[in-house]
Amino acid sequence: MSRTLAITVYAFTATFFALFFVFPIWHTVQEAFVTADGKITFAYFTELFRNPIYVEGLVNSFYMGLFTTILALLIALPLALISNTWEFRGKEILNALILVPLILPPFVGALGVRQFLGQAGVLNTFLTDLGLMDATTPFDWLGEGRLAGIVLMNALHLYPIAYLNISAALANLDPAMEEAAENMGCHGIRRLFRVTFPLIMPGLFAGATIIFIWAFTELGVPLVFDYDRVTSVQIFEGLKDLSGNPFPYALVVVMLVAAVFFYLIGKWFFGRDNFAGSGRASTGRSHRVASPLVGTCCAGIFTLVTAIAILPHLGVILLSLSNDWYGTILPTALTGQHYEDALGHPLTIHSIANSLKYSSLATGLDILLGIGIAYVVVRTRLPGRQLLDAMAMLPLAVPGLVLAFGYLAMTREGQLFDFLIIGEDPILILVIAYSVRRLPYVVRSAAAGFQQTSVSLEEAAQNLGSTPLRALRKITLPLIAANLIAGALLAFSFAMLEVSDSLILAEQQQHYPITKAIYALISSLGTGPNLASALGVWAMIFLAVTITGAGVILGRKMGALFRV
Amino acid sequence: MVSIHIRGLVKRFGEVVALNHLDLDIAAGELFFLLGPSGCGKTTLLRAIAGFHLPDAGTIKFDGDDVTKVAPHKRETGMMFQSYALWPHLNVFRNVAFGLEERRLAKPEIKRRVDEALAMVKMDGLGPRRINQLSGGQQQRVALARALVIRPRCLLLDEPLSNLDSKLRIEMRSEIRRICKEFGLTAIYVTHDQKEALSMADRMAILDAGNIAQIGTPEELYRRPRSAFVAGFVGETNLIPGTLTSVSGENYYIRTAVGELVGRVVSPDWQPAQGEAVTLSIRPECLSIDSDPPLQNPIAGRLTESIYLGETAQYALKCAGREEAVHISELNPRRVIRDTGAAFYATALPEDIVILPAS
Repeated sequence: MSRTLAITVYAFTATFFALFFVFPIWHTVQEAFVTADGKITFAYFTELFRNPIYVEGLVNSFYMGLFTTILALLIALPLALISNTWEFRGKEILNALILVPLILPPFVGALGVRQFLGQAGVLNTFLTDLGLMDATTPFDWLGEGRLAGIVLMNALHLYPIAYLNISAALANLDPAMEEAAENMGCHGIRRLFRVTFPLIMPGLFAGATIIFIWAFTELGVPLVFDYDRVTSVQIFEGLKDLSGNPFPYALVVVMLVAAVFFYLIGKWFFGRDNFAGSGRASTGRSHRVASPLVGTCCAGIFTLVTAIAILPHLGVILLSLSNDWYGTILPTALTGQHYEDALGHPLTIHSIANSLKYSSLATGLDILLGIGIAYVVVRTRLPGRQLLDAMAMLPLAVPGLVLAFGYLAMTREGQLFDFLIIGEDPILILVIAYSVRRLPYVVRSAAAGFQQTSVSLEEAAQNLGSTPLRALRKITLPLIAANLIAGALLAFSFAMLEVSDSLILAEQQQHYPITKAIYALISSLGTGPNLASALGVWAMIFLAVTITGAGVILGRKMGALFRV
Repeated sequence: MVSIHIRGLVKRFGEVVALNHLDLDIAAGELFFLLGPSGCGKTTLLRAIAGFHLPDAGTIKFDGDDVTKVAPHKRETGMMFQSYALWPHLNVFRNVAFGLEERRLAKPEIKRRVDEALAMVKMDGLGPRRINQLSGGQQQRVALARALVIRPRCLLLDEPLSNLDSKLRIEMRSEIRRICKEFGLTAIYVTHDQKEALSMADRMAILDAGNIAQIGTPEELYRRPRSAFVAGFVGETNLIPGTLTSVSGENYYIRTAVGELVGRVVSPDWQPAQGEAVTLSIRPECLSIDSDPPLQNPIAGRLTESIYLGETAQYALKCAGREEAVHISELNPRRVIRDTGAAFYATALPEDIVILPAS
């Protein structure tokens, strides 16, 4: 690529980010601090913190983030250590299956959790049948206000991120670091705490941060649980009367500041040094071959965790097949009617088409931007390119809700970007929103591709007469195609699952993407939840296929996609 | 300090036999080298001694104790890793103190011994430094101090100098040898650098595909190799195949493609029979080159290459009936022969022509 072209790409991507990442955030922040007549004020915040409902929402959001993170780490850490130590039968397939929950839509799974753990749910019915519980005083497993159920669902959804990060950190650890500890007489659990954990802390922290921020701002799951005492839901509810109401803006700013604050605290405590890659590995890590007993235990633990994590979604499948399922262990009658109805329902056909349209356009945009940014970052020496790189990764750390809100605010009538809503069709802003949020996956995988592909391959083509752009197209892009496909698949899957942008930005029924259609169905009466489940199952099947493809192409490198 | 006795050691990795019924005795206080090409099993052997590989068969004894199945953390060896394996989350002092902390020593005692160890490797005062603030040479010294401070039963070094530049490498060679001798350490040192081994070792073993090809002092291995493999691995040599025609006293007459040569058999436990195929090993520095035919051991050929290196001049002679050129290295060359293409003779004294079993 010539320098002029590189600068053009640089300028274009930087402008895109300024307009659709920095500006929406800035716009929201501004609204929160400026009164109707243009004066700067902190009144909205003092007002907000005086309102016990908002304060409770923030505290609950914090708990939702914290407990989800802790639970996810508790699930992922032992799994990663086992996988890093032992070689056992079926490990490869189990390693892939353990990641599946990440792409199962959590707010659909929440339906299943409700079905299993609700007061008249499967567990209580089972206990009543056994005579261990009195049917008139059922135990509330979901906890006061259902926070427990939300945390459980979030953790079961997000632990794969921790697993991928910890596994990658362990794989990067020079085995000699641990052997040196053994050699000095430090063994077992003690070695784990004195040497292994401190060294993988940056990787562990990177995973934990993303989980915390995702859970802290999770919107879909609390909505399904009908739990309105968290900030995310309060913001969503506040959208109904946005004009003239500054509190949603103030709440969004508080949420953003809190997310950044927790991120920085963690970074300062754990992330100061990057130990990864320090010292060359002198010996390849060799996994111990597990004895049949140990191997069975390892495989058993993996299977158990995967089974528990997909149980809510199995519940969803049953729900989608059931006619009547209330106060019984299994549905009393099965039917395929909901699938037929789901495909015949006016909401669903549109929503599937819409989601495919939005997601593929967003993925296409991501590939273009991703290649451009990765090229500038890896292959040029342009000043400020690291900033561009950091910026491209930031959407992972900035709550989706904050951005969605910003987009909504900046495209309202009379605002600078209202032309992005064509008539009432939000397609442009949704495609932009989807692509900004998923860009990190494509940038990371493209950058990894560029790093692995020697620049001399391109130079050789130029030496033989190719223009720089042709050399890029004919040599490098085919070589990094696998990376690009994997990144694009991930971006696509997550775009299909997107909740905050979809719920907030699609206002007309005919523009609903799948997620909003499911949400609308869940809240409708009658067979609504069953129809929602059926639609959810369609989506899950679809996503399982794409993510398996990504996993096969990327293998272990998938962990790198989830780091800030 | 312990002596180390290894009997019938076998280690397989799947189909690959890394150690093949290996016997080895290392005396207390000896600086012993394991040398060989990559994949010969030298690192596997070292790691088996440290306890990181459980052998499939055989025993390892420290003095009289059988440690074959003792876990690495109970083996009391001090190992220096090729990558140093210094923990980046601990500073220099804490890295060195680690082993003593594991041994539950009192704080003041730990401080005293760490300071002493750091002084020994000339790193005094650098205790608070972070690992990534150190140069390669300093990291190497810290790794050595960390291995030494626990007063190990034996010191194990896995290519400790391979990540250093050549000047520092030469400096550290004598440094490591000095420390080992000062403390009377039994040390096993793995390297693929034959100069390192020749210059430092009390004794050394050459490993080849999981077997010990030869054990001996550096002079023995260089002057009296027992196989073409050893001759070729330790130093440069010209290997010339031939057949034994007759013996007269110490002189063995060998018919080769480059003419009849007179050499010596240096191994006490091998005698070639008349008519047996053998291999001659002639080191380049044992050969001299001249345009007139010599009285004994003439090797005729055409000069194809002449390289001047200051301290030596190197020549390549293409002989009839032989693919490979004969390499000649002349020490302190006063006059360099440049007329490539011309006919020349190389020659060596019979005591410099070593007769080995056919390879």
